[in-house]
Amino acid sequence: MATAPDFETYCQELFDHKTAFGKPEVLKGYRVLSCTQYILGPSCASYLGELGAEVIKIEAPRRGEPMRHTTPFNEPLLYPLSRWAPEAGTGLGFFGANFNEEFVSLDFHRPEARQAMSELAAKSDVMVQNYRPGTFDRWGIGYQHLSKVNPRLVYQWLGGFGGWGPGRVRASYDILGQAQGGAFGITGEAADRGGTPAKHTIWLADYWGGMMAAVQVLAALYWRDTVSGEGTFIEYSQVHGVTRMLEYALPLYGRYGIRRERWGNWDTELCVHGIIQCGKSSYPDSKNPQEAEVGYILVTAHTDEDFKKLCDVIGRKDLATTYAKHDDRVKAQNQEPVYEAIEAWAKDKTKEDVAKLLDKAGILNQPVWNAKEVSEHPHWKLRGAVQWIDDPMYGDIHAQGPAFKMSDTPPRVKWTMKPVGTDNEKVYGRLLGWSKSKIAEMEDAEVI
Amino acid sequence: MADTTFPKHKVLPWPAVPIPTPDEVYRGLTDQAKEYPLSLEAQLRQSDNFKKPENLTTVRVLDVSKGMIIGNWCSSMLSELGADTIKCEPPDGDPLRWLTPFGRKEYMFKDAETGEPIGLHFLHEMRNKQSITLDLEKEEGRELLKKLVVHFDVLIENYPPGQFDKWGIGYRQLKEINPRLVYAWVGQKGQWGPSKDKPGNLDPTAQASCGFVHGTGLPKEFGGRPTRSAMWMADQAGGTSTAMGILASLLYRDKVSGKGQFVEGTAAEAVIRILDYNWAWYGMDGSIRPRYGNWDLAINIYAVNPCKDGYFMVGGGHDRLWYRIWRTVGQTRADLEDEILDDKSLRVVVARLPHTKQVKTYTVLADWQKDHSRADAMRELLAQQVASGGVNYVDEVAEDPHFKYRGHVDQFEDRLYGKVLYGTTPFIQHKAPGRLKWIGRPLGYDNEEIYLKLLGLGGGDLAGLKKRGVV
Repeated sequence: MATAPDFETYCQELFDHKTAFGKPEVLKGYRVLSCTQYILGPSCASYLGELGAEVIKIEAPRRGEPMRHTTPFNEPLLYPLSRWAPEAGTGLGFFGANFNEEFVSLDFHRPEARQAMSELAAKSDVMVQNYRPGTFDRWGIGYQHLSKVNPRLVYQWLGGFGGWGPGRVRASYDILGQAQGGAFGITGEAADRGGTPAKHTIWLADYWGGMMAAVQVLAALYWRDTVSGEGTFIEYSQVHGVTRMLEYALPLYGRYGIRRERWGNWDTELCVHGIIQCGKSSYPDSKNPQEAEVGYILVTAHTDEDFKKLCDVIGRKDLATTYAKHDDRVKAQNQEPVYEAIEAWAKDKTKEDVAKLLDKAGILNQPVWNAKEVSEHPHWKLRGAVQWIDDPMYGDIHAQGPAFKMSDTPPRVKWTMKPVGTDNEKVYGRLLGWSKSKIAEMEDAEVI
Repeated sequence: MADTTFPKHKVLPWPAVPIPTPDEVYRGLTDQAKEYPLSLEAQLRQSDNFKKPENLTTVRVLDVSKGMIIGNWCSSMLSELGADTIKCEPPDGDPLRWLTPFGRKEYMFKDAETGEPIGLHFLHEMRNKQSITLDLEKEEGRELLKKLVVHFDVLIENYPPGQFDKWGIGYRQLKEINPRLVYAWVGQKGQWGPSKDKPGNLDPTAQASCGFVHGTGLPKEFGGRPTRSAMWMADQAGGTSTAMGILASLLYRDKVSGKGQFVEGTAAEAVIRILDYNWAWYGMDGSIRPRYGNWDLAINIYAVNPCKDGYFMVGGGHDRLWYRIWRTVGQTRADLEDEILDDKSLRVVVARLPHTKQVKTYTVLADWQKDHSRADAMRELLAQQVASGGVNYVDEVAEDPHFKYRGHVDQFEDRLYGKVLYGTTPFIQHKAPGRLKWIGRPLGYDNEEIYLKLLGLGGGDLAGLKKRGVV
């Protein structure tokens, strides 16, 4: 091992996202049909696309799926929307859920679509769809139909509540999944501190739910290819996923009838392990209100030793005696004075001032970074967590990298998205043998 | 087992309200309308799980992570899908095992055999896992780990960056011993890079460092602050995404390469990945995503606002739903419906997105909501097929008829821990569904079985190891 590089250098070389394109892709040769809209279904297919599967995204002709028409405050757009509408743009709501995909258009309502879907499914490994339960069955392209065409097909339905049971007719969105599943009600500042329940800002139930669905698809493919040779049907309920995330809440309620409540920016299980306000803005002269706002920082000092150090730093040695044991300071009524003392100390400081003083004392901390601070941070840039992508359609795009790293067959972002119907010729020609004139005919008839 | 002094209040049995029967659920439907949900139910109902095989029965996982939920969560993904999963803890236990909200020991459960307490957060993620102990601080412990990994397909660890490598049990060394091993490291920010993980970094470190906390909560003008998730949510996202990497590696090993590989999953990068358009927006014009509380920057109507008895969500991002929502409102408050329909500036979908338009929309909607309970509001909106529903508190989640009927929430009677209410696996599947086999194990409960089965160490050997503090 004399010549071996140190571990950090070794890891950096092994996981460098710039070398990803020199390595094979893990799902090469797998084909995924993504008949999805919004975020939950699309993101599941996108994760498989990042791993190298050939993902064919099938959208309604002309307008494409609804997410293309959502964007923050209706401001940022990427042009164009579709092959038919160069003057219209795709909203950023669509961004991030459809990496590395080929985009075709198809109107599922039409009888021709049924034949096309059946022929595509015969040649595919995975089908992902999130229409209302039973819709695809009515159109003759449900699991019962396509599994006959291709018994090896892994057919994934995703949606809010699932296709059976008392709530089966209910539609859902991410925010509703968070609300009904229970994560919304326990997040945010407590009522007696002036808080309300809070939504996780990302479409968490959808984007994370898509990951759960992708885990299940990969497990089903593993089982198919190494054990059984059979496809299967998967039903992922987004609300169910959220309920899975509630940690100790359900066992606690079930046995003792105690209802987990909101606890804001502190931690119910560890103290000190909470986010505090620093009294000063890091960018007092900025015209951007996001920057002009005061700073926040996570302070971690739950071990007795660290807590003692923290009390020294903030000049409150008395607290180290009053709350010497973790069992004392983690009590609900004792967390309040502890955090108040830290905030009082941080009142005349920026988050960077606080971080510097805590670093010096060997106390763990993490400033609350905004989108700019994350985007410009050398750590995230080096690791490719955020990266500039030379997108063949949209030019230079600043985008997130894949969620995890692999040494030998890394996931990667090849392109971020394309307009509706971009790959019609390529996909229908190659997979269904449609001629140029047939494609034109289908396009005129608005089947595609 | 039961502590008779706690709790002092009367605890309702679960379910407090009986789970609806299929007859009640599908009452009033025509035979044709019943056919689809009943056929789905026949394929997916969870009471049939044990008649079916599991996806990952051929996979064996060793989880040596500690002190952070990301590793436990990652191995839960695999254990729920059938992997033979062993949680390997230090002799004094994974520190998470002893954590309990607000330090309340009375919340901890005790198992029937040893009477050892266990924190409920940890218990919830010990599902289908066996527990062994091993002291990796000791040379002898590390030698045992090298022998153990020969028998495993997957190793999950979260020690400080480089610690295992320094100890001679890192990826570089273990791949020589078992080239088929998929080695996964999990953490907050990574093993390399200028801000790499420090020992002790715990979620919400990842939440704060990735932009999530900054973007969550009400805007300052509405009295809000940047807000963390109540859960160690970034660990959950990181654990799930790392499980993707592990499964992809196994697939590649068994179909293509015959070799394992090194997977690195971080809580922060999983959340950066799912922070939708944050980075593209910043890249386009330097925009920093603001907090927007319980509304949405990109969709109107899509929000949680107060009702008479709590908070309530209404959603409808396109015209058809927009008009249905206002028709519903108009049934009891025609003035409010008129106010919206008369406003020319709200006629086009995208024109409703600017902030002032959202304020107008929700001011009017909340005026209707304030006289409605969550249940009434939902009944009226559902009649118009509008997605809506209350912000459920935990007791409401536990008693939701849909969740109970489908088994999203269930009570498991565990051989060791008695009746435990828990969030079930969302891996619902036709041929090989996920399931719960047991809820958890006390510390080192499976030492005898595992060390004998895998390493041939009998009672005498184990006693020696115990004496030397290795297990």
